[in-house]
Amino acid sequence: MNKLFFRITVTAALLIAGAAWAQDKVPLQTDLPKPLFVGTPVPINVPNLEPKLTKWPDFSVPAGTVNLAKGRKVTASDSDPVVGTLDLVTDGDKEGDEGSWVELGPGKQWLQIDLEKDADIYAVVVWHFHSQERVYRDVVVQVSDDPAFGKDVTTLYDNSAGGKDLPYIETRFGKLVDAKGVKGRYVRLYSNGNTTNKMNHYIEVEVFGKPAA
Amino acid sequence: MANPPPKIRWAVFFTLALLALAVRLPQLGERPMHTDESVNAYITGELMAGEHFHYDPQDRHGPALFLLAKPVAQMCGAKNFAGLTETQVRLSTVLAGTATVLLFGAGGEMFGFIPCLVAALLFAFAPLPVYYSRYFIHETLFVAATLGLILSSGRAWRKTSLSSAALAGFCAALMLACKETAVIHFFALGVATIIGRRFRVSPKIPSARIWLVVAVIFLGTAILLFTGGGQNWAALPDLFRAIPNFTARASGQGHEKSFWYYARLLGGGWSGMAVLFVATIGFLRASRSPASPARFGIALYALLVFSIYSAIPYKTPWLALNLWLPLAILAGIAVEGGWLAWPKFSARALISIFIAAAGVLIWHDTRERVFQMPADEKNPYAYAHTVEDLLRLPPRLEELARQNKIPNPRIAVVAADAWPLPWYLRKFPQTGFWQPGQETGPADFFITPTDVSGRLAEQLKNFRPEFFGARPDVLLILWSPMMTNLAAAAPPPKIP
Repeated sequence: MNKLFFRITVTAALLIAGAAWAQDKVPLQTDLPKPLFVGTPVPINVPNLEPKLTKWPDFSVPAGTVNLAKGRKVTASDSDPVVGTLDLVTDGDKEGDEGSWVELGPGKQWLQIDLEKDADIYAVVVWHFHSQERVYRDVVVQVSDDPAFGKDVTTLYDNSAGGKDLPYIETRFGKLVDAKGVKGRYVRLYSNGNTTNKMNHYIEVEVFGKPAA
Repeated sequence: MANPPPKIRWAVFFTLALLALAVRLPQLGERPMHTDESVNAYITGELMAGEHFHYDPQDRHGPALFLLAKPVAQMCGAKNFAGLTETQVRLSTVLAGTATVLLFGAGGEMFGFIPCLVAALLFAFAPLPVYYSRYFIHETLFVAATLGLILSSGRAWRKTSLSSAALAGFCAALMLACKETAVIHFFALGVATIIGRRFRVSPKIPSARIWLVVAVIFLGTAILLFTGGGQNWAALPDLFRAIPNFTARASGQGHEKSFWYYARLLGGGWSGMAVLFVATIGFLRASRSPASPARFGIALYALLVFSIYSAIPYKTPWLALNLWLPLAILAGIAVEGGWLAWPKFSARALISIFIAAAGVLIWHDTRERVFQMPADEKNPYAYAHTVEDLLRLPPRLEELARQNKIPNPRIAVVAADAWPLPWYLRKFPQTGFWQPGQETGPADFFITPTDVSGRLAEQLKNFRPEFFGARPDVLLILWSPMMTNLAAAAPPPKIP
């Protein structure tokens, strides 16, 4: 009898805790840019091909999560961008028109956002370019406490050779990377040119999280 | 202004032609092959393999370019399609562009020495003719033939020369064997001649013998070229069947652009407006020169071809080369007019400064558009151009085949429009091309567009995708066996 009572109590407690936890989660939302190229999305049904996004993905984050990257300082491997300035990456403008994006030089380049203090990060969303169909190569997203990314580096996403993630086609919905609540102050994004040219473009990067307690 | 003695004149134009050749040769093979270039190279490869040219009235042009390209490529050492290189096929249009510069040397009597010199300079160094001289499509040869027709028919008329009449017939046939748009130019030249005779003093109408020679040589050469020396007589009715196709194409078919497209294209860059401005002055001067029916005629011809090409909804940047020919001569007529009208040293010094400044602007545009960003989507001449990314595809396939120890990989390309892949996969003998929905059978690698579905999707479940750009906004996917990529896995990127 006692055993049964214990089981019921534990189950009820777990259910209550789960419900409370679930209530604390809210759908992640962000302002989306207007579409810049028109096309009828064709359903892609291949297991190994990441489907082209046709809507903002369903993704939940803890209540109180905000975009910590807005207005934060951005540095890059190319300190003198070919087009635009680095502050465009965190200015909140996600439109794909010229003047909204920064173009880093050819080949492998990185871009880094300083959140100014440690944070629990739940999602990183990146918009490289969405006025035409293209794919950016070797996209890697990492988080660290070290501004040089020499230690304590957590890789959130990696579609370079050997990486576990698949390449994806850019859309106005950006690329949402699940950060799983990782703690860190710096977010670094790599790319290595794209399918149209060798340049690296960033329209906006949003880092959703909460300042670490 | 009197023409210099022939030896000096030809020395000048020969030197200019050599300079034009020198400008056209560097980095000739570096720009990716445009879809049209790859189609033309494929047909050239067929001729090299011993096949006869078969005129396709649906979507192809005449044989002239291929008949020039085949011996040029063979002289460069090419033996078959797989062995062809970008440089070898583009060399034929480089030579055609160089020949155009040289041809202006024969135009002194008709248009004057200075107009021909300026026109030759513009053809030798301006961005539009240099760019498309290095582009394996029909336009450059077509324009060379057009200039040949204008000069030889003018001479045949003035001198009642049978040899010039024969040359005119040959050039007209060559134009038709380049592109069917030749009929637009025949019409424009005919109307310009008729109106010119109506309003200006011009030599009497040539004798029937002259017309007969032109007609016989034109028909004989055209029949010879289109039928492949009598091998394919179906080409002749096909030529007439092409008329409705090209009429339909003129309506646009995805290439519709505004009436002012060519004006904007020619007036673009640092130098475009300057050249257009000078050519407009030349037009006004030529249309008021009663003593020169040739100049009046070229002004009318310019107006007609500009209007016709602008009115046709179908527009591509290379067609602007047809407008460049009369514009270049008209610009020369303007320069000559200024030079003769202001004999004072100070005025001529000013003209010289203007010409030098225009030269600097032209060189800037040529350097940028031809050499620095030849395939960039910001370059207005690089129209729906193959992107550099596609150049990575053949070496990547070789690498993957090597890693998988597949000496002769089977590659299945499934795409509604696979061009320019036949060019880039020409060194892989086991490459097949299928339309979407067709059964491909087993293959080591697949290449598809991004809209994969149906049975092919099922076939690809153990393959890993790798994206490649084909053109701006057009992606291809190379599918390689899943294990290949695991085997080929490289460590994640290090911090630079």
